[in-house]
Amino acid sequence: MIEYWPWWIGALGLAGVCLAYLLLVGRLLGVSGSWAKVVGWRENRLLRQANEEFAANQDEMSDALMAETLAQFGDEALQEFQTEASPVKGASSVDIDNLESSTPWTAHLTFLLCMFVGAFVTAYLSGQFELRFELSSMHSRIFGDTWEVWLALLFGGMMVGFGTQMAGGCTSGHGLSGCARLIPASLLATLVFMVSAVFLSMLMEVMIR
Amino acid sequence: MKTAQIKSHFEYGLVGILFGAVLTRIGFADYDELHKMFILSDMRMMYSFAGAVAISMIVLLLLNNRVPKQHKIFQPGTVPGSMLFGFGWAITGACPSLVFVQLGHGALPAVFTMMGIIFGVWLYRKLHGRFFGWDTGTCGV
Repeated sequence: MIEYWPWWIGALGLAGVCLAYLLLVGRLLGVSGSWAKVVGWRENRLLRQANEEFAANQDEMSDALMAETLAQFGDEALQEFQTEASPVKGASSVDIDNLESSTPWTAHLTFLLCMFVGAFVTAYLSGQFELRFELSSMHSRIFGDTWEVWLALLFGGMMVGFGTQMAGGCTSGHGLSGCARLIPASLLATLVFMVSAVFLSMLMEVMIR
Repeated sequence: MKTAQIKSHFEYGLVGILFGAVLTRIGFADYDELHKMFILSDMRMMYSFAGAVAISMIVLLLLNNRVPKQHKIFQPGTVPGSMLFGFGWAITGACPSLVFVQLGHGALPAVFTMMGIIFGVWLYRKLHGRFFGWDTGTCGV
């Protein structure tokens, strides 16, 4: 039996990581954000370039827009627009303030890969490292043959990737950082993903019996 | 590369190593431990998580003016996204950080989880740009 940390050392350790992330990086921990940066680096770059171009040609652009608006809707619409004077919102999936961050996406990749390195070194030093072709015998008992396990992992992984992006955060972003700041959306998200995970795990437990 | 960029790589890397190490020693890479937590028969890791939230809460309150404002909002995807994530977590035993910890532990099938996550993130961004378009508030890092 492998010895793990008692819960309170684990709590101190996790809180220490959150704090270290805040002090070193200057932001609150959020791993799915790093995923988004790494997977979407190309689109982010294209969007940033487009934004820069747009910013450089803003006068030209607004002149053209103005002329077009006049031609289409006449004076009235123009006045209406000017009273609203709403800031231009990007219609795309990427937040503008995200783009302004100067951190290169490769730093996020480094962050993710270093998690692997840290886990590997720790597991090796504590004698837990072992090349395995299944997650655990329990996991294989639930999901069946090798290829069924692989398929389950592939689809499960898709749900994790899709779900965390959709929810706007994961265990670290919503769970650790968000809950620690008592942000309502994060509290709700954490409750929902914990309850769904418990529900499905219980269901799997019942089904293999 | 500029010095500032090298510095940020170093900082992110350092926290990454620390995070991986802590998650490993708590036992989050172990599917059995995680499953025991999810069927509520062993609450040790849940207490670690909750304890970390409590400690962070206090420390962040003390550092209040240094903590950046978070952009976490209710949006149409909060509940369905979290639900999908919860189910996926129960199936794979991996959240977006744990997949690396599982791999570091030597669990080779986690490669499939990783491919799934990459595809899922990519797919969501595609669909979001085309159909959804609301603000998800994904960790503004």
